[in-house]
Amino acid sequence: MKAKQSFLLLLISSAVITFSACTKSNDNTSIITPTVPPSNPITAGNISGFVKGTLTTGNTYTITGDLTIKAGDTLASQQGVTVIVKTNAQINVQGVLLLVGTKDQPVSFNSDSNTPGSWGGFQCDSAQSVTIKWANIANTGGPDLAGDPRKSLIVGVPINVDIEDSWFSNGQDDLIRMQNGAKVTILRNTITSSGSTDGEAINLKKGVTGDVAYNVVYSQAGTGIKLETDDVVPFPQTNVNVYNNTLVSNGWRRGAAEPGRGVSVGLNAKANIYNNIMVDNYQGLEIFQDADTSNVHYGNNLFYASADTYSDTTVTPNISINLRSNFYPGDGVGKPQSTDLISTAVGDKDPMFVSFDGKIATPNGAPNANDFHLKTGSPALGAGNAAYSNDLGAYTSDATKSNQH
Amino acid sequence: MKHYILGSLFLIFFSLQLSAQFKISGTISDSISKDKLVDATVTLHNNIHNLNTTANSNGEFVFNNVISGNYILDIDLVGYQRFSQRITVTAKDISLHILLSRNQSTLAAVNVFTTINGEQESGSRLREKNANNIVNVISAQAMQRSPDINAANVLQRMSGITLQKNSGADEAYAIVRGLEPRYNNTLINGVKITSPDEKSRFVSLDIVPSELLQKIEISKSLLPEMEGDAIGGTVNLVMKDAPDSMILHATASLGYSSIFFTRQYSYFSTKDIQQKSLTERLGNSYVAQPNDFSRSNLDFKEKTALPTGTAGITYGKRFLNNKLGVLVADNFQNQYFGTNSLLNQAVPDVHLAIPAISDVSDRTFSTQQLNDGLSLHADYNINKRNKIILNNLLLYSALQQSRLSIDTAILGGNGGRTVPGTGPVTTDYTSITSHELLENLKLEGRHILSKHLAVDWAGVYSLAYKRSPDRADLGLNKKIDTVHTTADKNGPYTFSVTPDYFDNITRIWQHNKDQDINGLANVTYKTTLKKFFVDIQAGGLYRHKTRYNLQDEYDLKPTTNTNGVKQVFTNINTAQWVVYNPAGTYTYDVNNYHAYEDISAGYGEVKLSSNKFDVFGGVRVEHTKQGFTINNFHPGSINGVNKNYTDVLPSIQLKYNLNSRMDIRGSYFKSISRPNYYELVPYNILNNSSANNEEGNPYLNHSVADNYDLRYEFFPGDEEQLFVGGFYKRIQNPIEYAYINGTTYQPVNLGTATVYGSEAVFTKYFGNVGITGNYTYIYSKIYSIKSYTDLQAQTTYDKLQKRPMQGETNNTVNVSLLYKNDKKKIFAQLAYQYLGRTLAEVYPIYGFDYYQKPQSFLSFSAEYNLSRRFTLFGKFNNILNTPTYYNINNLVVGKDVFYSNFQVGFRYSN
Repeated sequence: MKAKQSFLLLLISSAVITFSACTKSNDNTSIITPTVPPSNPITAGNISGFVKGTLTTGNTYTITGDLTIKAGDTLASQQGVTVIVKTNAQINVQGVLLLVGTKDQPVSFNSDSNTPGSWGGFQCDSAQSVTIKWANIANTGGPDLAGDPRKSLIVGVPINVDIEDSWFSNGQDDLIRMQNGAKVTILRNTITSSGSTDGEAINLKKGVTGDVAYNVVYSQAGTGIKLETDDVVPFPQTNVNVYNNTLVSNGWRRGAAEPGRGVSVGLNAKANIYNNIMVDNYQGLEIFQDADTSNVHYGNNLFYASADTYSDTTVTPNISINLRSNFYPGDGVGKPQSTDLISTAVGDKDPMFVSFDGKIATPNGAPNANDFHLKTGSPALGAGNAAYSNDLGAYTSDATKSNQH
Repeated sequence: MKHYILGSLFLIFFSLQLSAQFKISGTISDSISKDKLVDATVTLHNNIHNLNTTANSNGEFVFNNVISGNYILDIDLVGYQRFSQRITVTAKDISLHILLSRNQSTLAAVNVFTTINGEQESGSRLREKNANNIVNVISAQAMQRSPDINAANVLQRMSGITLQKNSGADEAYAIVRGLEPRYNNTLINGVKITSPDEKSRFVSLDIVPSELLQKIEISKSLLPEMEGDAIGGTVNLVMKDAPDSMILHATASLGYSSIFFTRQYSYFSTKDIQQKSLTERLGNSYVAQPNDFSRSNLDFKEKTALPTGTAGITYGKRFLNNKLGVLVADNFQNQYFGTNSLLNQAVPDVHLAIPAISDVSDRTFSTQQLNDGLSLHADYNINKRNKIILNNLLLYSALQQSRLSIDTAILGGNGGRTVPGTGPVTTDYTSITSHELLENLKLEGRHILSKHLAVDWAGVYSLAYKRSPDRADLGLNKKIDTVHTTADKNGPYTFSVTPDYFDNITRIWQHNKDQDINGLANVTYKTTLKKFFVDIQAGGLYRHKTRYNLQDEYDLKPTTNTNGVKQVFTNINTAQWVVYNPAGTYTYDVNNYHAYEDISAGYGEVKLSSNKFDVFGGVRVEHTKQGFTINNFHPGSINGVNKNYTDVLPSIQLKYNLNSRMDIRGSYFKSISRPNYYELVPYNILNNSSANNEEGNPYLNHSVADNYDLRYEFFPGDEEQLFVGGFYKRIQNPIEYAYINGTTYQPVNLGTATVYGSEAVFTKYFGNVGITGNYTYIYSKIYSIKSYTDLQAQTTYDKLQKRPMQGETNNTVNVSLLYKNDKKKIFAQLAYQYLGRTLAEVYPIYGFDYYQKPQSFLSFSAEYNLSRRFTLFGKFNNILNTPTYYNINNLVVGKDVFYSNFQVGFRYSN
């Protein structure tokens, strides 16, 4: 009898447990995020943390710690602003970045140490829009706190990105990295001596569309302008017009095992590549087998080498590279076009830069004393595909389109 | 010679006749169930003689050489009424069949004080037969005789189990019924153990020497008294118990992996390895200098591999009038092994949207693994009603591994291959050392409070950690091109090879720790209700877990030449580098986290049993609180998560006895699987060369499954069995990795998965020859998120693909031929294993996945008793040198070769 009662008791208690506890299909999850303070309006002097507002003309600002511009907020800069960045800080943009200088009064961003890779640049992965005009941005890149290489300017969302008339110098790692459907207008910029032993100057991936034109890229560690879609997501395709750029002495610092190119197109990317001048790059124009080759159109590009070979005497045994054989590298499917100007000897099809020291491999951060304007009588003048320009290179006779630097 | 033997036999026969000695034997069974009863104390006595023995695992006992006379035969077994009978021995042997009646006034079936000889294979059959749920058991005896030396290898011969092996063959996790390790749990002496893995909950079973084990039990259905987080099954490693009489076993063996007959062993010095990272030694503000990083652990040298050695000792005895039982066992294994593998990366061909080889990679691993397991058991019988048991298990494993990988790009952003023999080549050298420790201390008590009531309790402390100091990785690259020897671009060519350039070095210091404190208690009430035995049990468990992982990584980049070009590599001692991130990543490493998990569980269960059937039912409630904290330098983003959920897990087990040797079981239970700790952490690992990333998922839900089982069991005789069964599982919120939007690789809940299958197990002896085996068929179905490209419409979007669950092997066959000759003291076993097609890994694009091709393995083991105390044994594994192939459809993407290995040794037994 006693046993019966106990049994009954247990049955009842089990039933109670069954019905009192509810089985949820989803777990009760609470996410812990640090409290985000309201953004401070910017005042001259030291700035850090969450900010919004405008950097005003003539003022100098010192960034002492990471800056974050929240979604919905704007960081704007008027002309003639000087920003000095300390402590390897970076600028995180989730809202709007609007830097607008002028030819006479550009906006300037540099680190206090003035050495390559000494501040973090603009981390705009999830920004709402990015506009940079007449800005001078120097010494960006290097590792973030988690040890990952930082791109000087990265956008990872399908927004409009305008980068015009600006200088980027002595960066490290990738300089301008756009991906995931960003719509780009990259015009008339000068990018020099960036990337330590790796990094592309303009690296466009995964569905990026737009124009890259009238830019000068000098002495980039890796490739000047690189276009790719993605292997897992081949559509939408990266589709970019690359025209009237001047690409000089790029692709050397990675060494002979990983030569860089003036321009490369791979992984289902589409492109129109016209009117570019490529001089003394490790390799010139590379169309990889896996590009959307039937939709890569190219021609009217000038290839020149200021010497027959480049001998790297810093390694034993010395390495000697035949420069002209790499205009269209042998491992790609790109072929010389009848509209191209292809040099066959030193002096032949020389684009006749106003000044060029002929240095081929130079270190990250090396000064650029060259003037890539064209002298009168340059074969690049008048050789262009008129749909873009009558001339080749970043400096054309049409002053309204030409690089203004 | 022959005459001499015949003469001896005659003499023996004659002397037996003279002294008029007889044999008294018998079998002991339960009066109702007719189950054979083991371990009954059998006494045959009169005022002159007093003979004692214990019934064996088949319920049999025998007294040889009984001199004629009048005796009393007493049989005692806990839970049964004493059996007493007068016996008169006169002119012949006597054989008895004895039925014992359950003693209804005592705790009949409580396992508290009874000991089954779990080390014998026949004891395993009994455990399987008498279990309340569906179990498969393998005994110490079977493990000892098998070709295997660790728990992982033993497990793979069990029904429904396959192993998930990492390439490099040093880690092995159990896949039960096609369900990945995440759906199973591992217990030591019935309590869950901590994991030395920095991210998951798993315990690699290759560090558990099988000689420490009394048995391994795989429970395929759960009782409410068991922890609820096993959907595939529970692997319970039961350590050796104190024996009734003194034992002393010792074993030693030497062996070799035949891969080192074909190539050298790659070795590096560990003398300069700093055990702690720079940040840990010198503080957060220290700026790392190039000379802070040693070179000798990246200086690889070839040498001849040493032989593998194992040694073990087991000592057990009862003291203080048998009140105190002690067993100490230690097993040491020092193994050298290697892998040669080919790993071809496959990327989707963008023109065809099907996978194509992008890289060809040759990898050679050389590994030394040193394991030591120390098991300590002590039990103390305070009196007949109270017992205290202490179990401690300490497992230590040290690994030293050299990895060489030579990767040639066929496609990709650096030119790829034009003709065979060309392409960019990346050479990667890695040196790894790690130390793992698992400590498990369990103190338990069992108390009989009254005629009907018993209580047992346990406190368990479990700790696991791993330390991997200075995992060093050196990357070099070069490029091979063609040089045309004539002006004809399609004409003859030679190859040009650039020097090796120094690309980068990474140095990672990693350590993690996982610590549990458990308290559990059960109350058992046993009684009878009319014709039924009624067992009621209730209890609870509380576990508090804390764990962390900490990693500090430094990247070293080559210094450049005066022209800015990176350095050519000649050797590690002349390489010059700069420290790219001199602060290290200790504070913000993406792998770092601190996690906790608190589990409170309670259950109630009732068993009604009669001679014909058992009905077992109950419910378990588990409440889980878990979460973690991380340091995230991204302002405003997640730096912690707390989760809580409650599961109500009913279980019903039915057993119908067709007769004393046959039964049918049916079961339903609900169970769960919790996400791995690191999967919840919102880590974000960017792929520098593509626009893709890998991300954690703090919104992951735990998986919940309904499980149904049916099994027919037949026990024809000692050690023999035939099981045939089927199962069906429906899993809500299964967790698998998927590419979301073709961009983000992360763990996600994938709707509902179903798994069904069947298993058959048999063991049959024909005289000296036996055959044992099992067959498992599994079908599983899950809908996986894949990236689908429509070439016509030129769009890519996510689409669900139906496929098997990751880790599922469709057909598994194990067959062993056994030869047992007790007279010649020989035991030999030839073990064959067939593994069918296995879904090894998920491929990101629709319609394609990585499958492991079907494989056949052969192993052999044998032992020979040189004398009563010494046994010679040999174990020969992977005799066919079976390669493992990985395919995506017909595209071969991987091949691992391990070569055979063997061991020969001695065993001593007192």
